[in-house]
Amino acid sequence: MTSPDSATNPRSSSGAPGGDAPLLATRALSKTFGGLKAVDAVDLELRQGEILGVIGPNGAGKTTLFSLIAGSIAPTSGEVQLRGWKVSGRPAYKLVRAGVVRTHQIVRPFPNLTVAENVTVGAIHGAGRAPGPARERAAEVLAFVDLADRARDLPGTLTLAGRKRLELARALAIVPEVLLLDEVVAGVNPAEAMRLAGLIRRIRDERGVSIVMIEHVMPAVMSLSDRIVVLDHGKKIAEGAPAEVAADPLVIEAYFGKGAGGARA
Amino acid sequence: MARLVDLAVSAVLLAGLYATMAYGLGLIYGVLRVVNLAHGGVIMAGAYLGWVLYGWVGLDPYLSIPIVVGVTFLLGMGLYRGLVRHLPRGPAGGPASLLLLFGVWLVLRNAAYLLFTGNDQSIRTAYSTRAISLFGTWVDASRLAVLAIAVVTPLLLHAILWRTHLGRAIRAVAQNADSCTLVGIDVERIYTITFGMGTALAGLAGLLSATIFSFNPGFGSGELLKSFVVVVLGGLGSVLGTGVAALILAVVEVFAILVLPSYLTAAVGFVMLVLVLVVRPGGLFGQRVLG
Amino acid sequence: MRALLGARAAIAFAVVVAALALLPVVLDLSPYDRNLLTLAFLMIAGSLAWNWMGGYLGQVSFGHAAMFGIGGFVAARLMMEPSPMPPLLAWLLGGVAAGVFSLGAHPTLRLRGPYFSIATIGVGEASRLVFTWWEDFTGGASGLSLPIDIALKARLYWWALGLAALVVIASFLLRRSAFGLQLLAIKADVDAAADVGVNATFSQDVVMVLSGAVVGLTGALYASFFAFIEPSDMFGFDRSIAFVLMSVIGGVGTILGPALGAIVFVLLRQFLLASYPQLYLGLYGVLLILIILFEPLGLTGLGLRALRAWQRRRPHGGAPRTVAAP
Repeated sequence: MTSPDSATNPRSSSGAPGGDAPLLATRALSKTFGGLKAVDAVDLELRQGEILGVIGPNGAGKTTLFSLIAGSIAPTSGEVQLRGWKVSGRPAYKLVRAGVVRTHQIVRPFPNLTVAENVTVGAIHGAGRAPGPARERAAEVLAFVDLADRARDLPGTLTLAGRKRLELARALAIVPEVLLLDEVVAGVNPAEAMRLAGLIRRIRDERGVSIVMIEHVMPAVMSLSDRIVVLDHGKKIAEGAPAEVAADPLVIEAYFGKGAGGARA
Repeated sequence: MARLVDLAVSAVLLAGLYATMAYGLGLIYGVLRVVNLAHGGVIMAGAYLGWVLYGWVGLDPYLSIPIVVGVTFLLGMGLYRGLVRHLPRGPAGGPASLLLLFGVWLVLRNAAYLLFTGNDQSIRTAYSTRAISLFGTWVDASRLAVLAIAVVTPLLLHAILWRTHLGRAIRAVAQNADSCTLVGIDVERIYTITFGMGTALAGLAGLLSATIFSFNPGFGSGELLKSFVVVVLGGLGSVLGTGVAALILAVVEVFAILVLPSYLTAAVGFVMLVLVLVVRPGGLFGQRVLG
Repeated sequence: MRALLGARAAIAFAVVVAALALLPVVLDLSPYDRNLLTLAFLMIAGSLAWNWMGGYLGQVSFGHAAMFGIGGFVAARLMMEPSPMPPLLAWLLGGVAAGVFSLGAHPTLRLRGPYFSIATIGVGEASRLVFTWWEDFTGGASGLSLPIDIALKARLYWWALGLAALVVIASFLLRRSAFGLQLLAIKADVDAAADVGVNATFSQDVVMVLSGAVVGLTGALYASFFAFIEPSDMFGFDRSIAFVLMSVIGGVGTILGPALGAIVFVLLRQFLLASYPQLYLGLYGVLLILIILFEPLGLTGLGLRALRAWQRRRPHGGAPRTVAAP
């Protein structure tokens, strides 16, 4: 309905500070809940056109990190930057309209809207970045994720994999620049997982979306990611190409405990 | 000085009543995630029940406490088993349970109008106006009695919730009903009992109120609002929080009466509500009751 | 197909409105019938506007009497001495006043679901108390008498019909629009809606103001209609309950359910007041309970069920049935 105003949309501003600023960055980002440091001074960068994987044992703070980046919660300290401009502390809907969109670990379709309507809600806010009326753009995205034949059904009638694709479609309809995928591949059977992984790659290749993905399904994240960041207890403990990270003893220890260094993951 | 004692007694008395009522509302919400919109109606029912027992059988209101509590307890269990149980739980059931219990409230109100007319009533016993000397002034015996009972009740409830088997089961269900079925707790039974406890507290509060205030079938909507204020201010599941919140509301009200015309004091509850919402939606003790 | 359905519905609607407009003239209606219809039109407008909040947005308000009352009293005051305004202007200003008031109730929107509803009970009750006490404005318990204008009362039939028609159109547009879709999303999951770019706070405020303003407008016309209003009636809890009931009876959240519910409600109320005045609260209560337990979509739900049952008995052409229908 409304297009992002230029104050919140860094894309329309001219001359970002530092010509080489990464698309998305977190600087010393921290979040404390009560006495617990869920995210501890995390520095991370996403470059244009990249797929960045985020892995780590359960409770490492990955989803909290996403919530911080997406604006659902405010950081205790540190910043989130989009093309060098500070965006942390803004309400979630403004970040979405600026092009940072997240999916949820447990999918949250709107149960009272049809599949097409779910995606249309997203398309409304993608206005200004893609031409055409919302309904048509929604149809295009539905076709992309292969849900066009279920357009008039309610989300409750879809399988989990279908609902995951719906969540993806809804996010894509907003025409994001940065897509935050929270365990999209987890919980579906291997065939579906492959399908979703293929979809993710196509999203980056064909639609030019840069992606950060949290994932537990190792084959998926290892094969899709250009780089991987590893979190444990809220801190970043490793970063680099998938193969490097897999061999990093700190990472192995985080997942398997001390003394597991000899065993291969 | 005399004035001060009087105000203090009023404040503590109201605080106890509000805490009792709020606990009734809060218990049902905390465990079943249902807002009992019939809460005000049950308070009113408790008042009339005590009044009837006193008028017909001559039963002293304080002695009729077990009966009123028992009856409203059974009423609550019946409401749950007969009606509330059939509603879908969770966010989808939200407006439905509201409207259903609202309907129950309307029925209760109408029943009271039919049985008792719309006239104001109150329970006045022979000793109601007997005064007891306290810190140099005279205080009504009935107000002291209500104060004592209303202050003891939340403590009793806390003891039940934290020291008995039943209480532990209730708290467990409030945290995670699904896991409870896994460990063999009969969740439906807990829901039924909890609903009954919530309405019993409301009934008790109504009975006690009847001995010091006048009431009519419309009685209860203000009380519902105040219970709600206390629950939001004090958070769920904390006796201390509920108590402090009730005290704050009571003190504000008592002083408001000094300044405002009498029928505006009911608006105080609402104003407090808005203030709390704007200033500290997480309640005093940070336990989120909202959203 | 969709466009065709829309065009057909629009034509049907126009026909119905035209027929109703001509009714008093063609049938020479008695004042009683004409008044009943006028009241029904006003209630249709009010309940549809209530439903924008209660049905589309999912925030059930038990305090809409506050807006109704403000609209009524502001308009009434403006039409009285010392400098009476033309009714239309007074009504519109009444609506605006109610809309502004709704904006003031913004903090309550932070609450979700049942907590919002309870807060609205407070809004309604506090309004009643304050406005009853504010005698200079509302005349206190004695209320306000407006100058009697018989011609205006007769014309109110068409004013009310016009208002109802506009609100029906607005309801359709709202529901089918992008904004309406966002409202439904907020209703389902406000956080997920924010994650999809919906500015929930702003959207909710807009609906609240629109809903309040229209209900205020309804109150304003109501004031002219009865030429006498008092706070306990205009701001009363029964008034707020009426709005809830109308939508629930007809079908909360549907586009036209509340309109149906309003008609039923007005007729029911006449009947009850005449035959069983001392039971009407209880009957409303029982009705609410029955509807919630058995058909949450009220009359509209019953209608849909009947429609589906009828469709099953008479399948439209296509593949031949392999099993003979009973």
